[in-house]
Amino acid sequence: MNIVVCVKQIPDPADPGALDPESKTLKRDGKLILDESDSYGVEMALQLVGDSGEVTLVSMAPNGEVSGLRTALAMGAAKAVLVSDDALKGSDALTTAKVLAAAIGKAGEYDLVLAATESSDGYTGVVPEQIAAVLGLPSVTFAKAVSVDGGTVKVDRQTEAGYDEVTCPLPAVVSVTAGVVEPRYPSFKGIMAAKSKPVDQLALADLGIEAANAGWAGAGQEIVEVAAAAQREAGEIIEDDGEAHAKIVDFLSNLKVI
Amino acid sequence: MRFAFTQDQLDFAEAVSDLLAKECDPAAVRVAWENDTGRVPGLWSRLVEMGVVGLLAPEGVGGLGMGEIDLVRIVYEAGRAALPEPLSTIAGVVVPAVRDHANTADAERFLSDVCAGTSTIALGLAANPLVVGAAGAAMFVLEADDGLHLVDPDVVEITPEQSVDGSRRVSRVNWNPSSATLMCGPSGAAEALDRAATFTAAELCGLADTMLTLTTGYVAERKQFGVPIGSFQAIKHHCANAMLAVEFAKPLVWRAAYSLTQRDPDASLHASMAKAAASDAADVVGRIAMQCHGGIGYTVEYDLHLYLKRAWSLISQDGSAASHRRRVADRVLG
Repeated sequence: MNIVVCVKQIPDPADPGALDPESKTLKRDGKLILDESDSYGVEMALQLVGDSGEVTLVSMAPNGEVSGLRTALAMGAAKAVLVSDDALKGSDALTTAKVLAAAIGKAGEYDLVLAATESSDGYTGVVPEQIAAVLGLPSVTFAKAVSVDGGTVKVDRQTEAGYDEVTCPLPAVVSVTAGVVEPRYPSFKGIMAAKSKPVDQLALADLGIEAANAGWAGAGQEIVEVAAAAQREAGEIIEDDGEAHAKIVDFLSNLKVI
Repeated sequence: MRFAFTQDQLDFAEAVSDLLAKECDPAAVRVAWENDTGRVPGLWSRLVEMGVVGLLAPEGVGGLGMGEIDLVRIVYEAGRAALPEPLSTIAGVVVPAVRDHANTADAERFLSDVCAGTSTIALGLAANPLVVGAAGAAMFVLEADDGLHLVDPDVVEITPEQSVDGSRRVSRVNWNPSSATLMCGPSGAAEALDRAATFTAAELCGLADTMLTLTTGYVAERKQFGVPIGSFQAIKHHCANAMLAVEFAKPLVWRAAYSLTQRDPDASLHASMAKAAASDAADVVGRIAMQCHGGIGYTVEYDLHLYLKRAWSLISQDGSAASHRRRVADRVLG
């Protein structure tokens, strides 16, 4: 069984992020790391394929960035497809999905596509389902357990009340929740091996996507303005004159919590 | 000639740094302070799986067959996290000593177990009156006048002692050297001390760096007279002096590890230079950190305390700064 995992390389959350005042988007010109939420998908894929298949990574990132991919390759993925093109700057979720779907087509034969529920820097949370729609594949979201049995995938799908047991035919796109498995740490042998694993770097033209339909030009949205979040207002201080409890009760009633 | 770490060495150190950031934060170190073993549950097996513990062991027994220079940045990261595991002694001293000096069968057996993480070997050098992690050790490498011995735990008497550092389980180990247990002569023991001094120096540099980071964070936040205290010249000078001490010690430590790897005839001299500088650096950074924190590091609840106590323990381990300066003087002045 072969599995494709969509991974995003993001600015290190440990460093304070900054917005580019011109494009009003997150600055992504420094070193990018593997989004931690994607490490669960990589681990899940590695566990599912075991010794009888390959895990291929698919990613879209600026400046030919591969640092995050190398981390996932060091964990055990076999190869990667990276789409990097200046024309992709400003891409919205749908363009990203179209690009990743086209890149998945370059990843060879696959049985399953895994992705995180959402990235840690963008949080749109819709890309996996859009990829499924573009590829014409069934999609299962919020997987907290995944197993493959012959030609079907069985998923425990997280819900507010508990979880649903879902099965669907392969190939399919499944998005996994954080904490679904415990991602392994790359071993030194894995780190050294990752340096020689193939990373196929593609541009938009290689995927047959017009630059006019990608990036800012193809985005169905525009960032008009960025403003600092309003400061929290100071709370109301009540001097207790013996009636303070009534005011607290009123306050909580207004919030409809009592 | 390129005087810098290779990309592989930096990648290994980063991988260990990432692991320790998640698995060995101050809360984890506090667990080690309070439990029976003085260690973080499960962490040793993660280090084993990563390949850290067997880095210097031959590939045939599950190691990676690398050298001291490949390990030194990793041990520095261990120091930064105040890792309460016997990494520098086992990976940096015991493994190469057994590799180089034990008979083939013993070396294969013990190194396989160490690389697989199924057992640990405790180290007792003459420079240190107490042995760390003696309880539960599958074997002991102990120094006597005639050299290093590979000693079975059945024939040693272990008496627990108290360490200033709550995560160090130290013991006095009594045993009787015999020719049957002798692994190598005094030159092998001297080499073990050089390795121990070098890797302890690397840990001290890591500890000093963390104490300095905590301090610069604190003085940028703590306000007095309406401004952060870090804006006062007296504080700035303290922080600059602390940084100077640790940044001047680091190249000596990297050099000592390089010399050990290259079997440089001056490796012993370089190890002493490294340990003397790193011990002094950790001492001065610790004092400055405590002062700039307004003494708050005195309380065990504050994280600085964990790093300070570890630094105090390691400053005198494997030879004090004074003893290593004497070794340097003897070597240079003849």
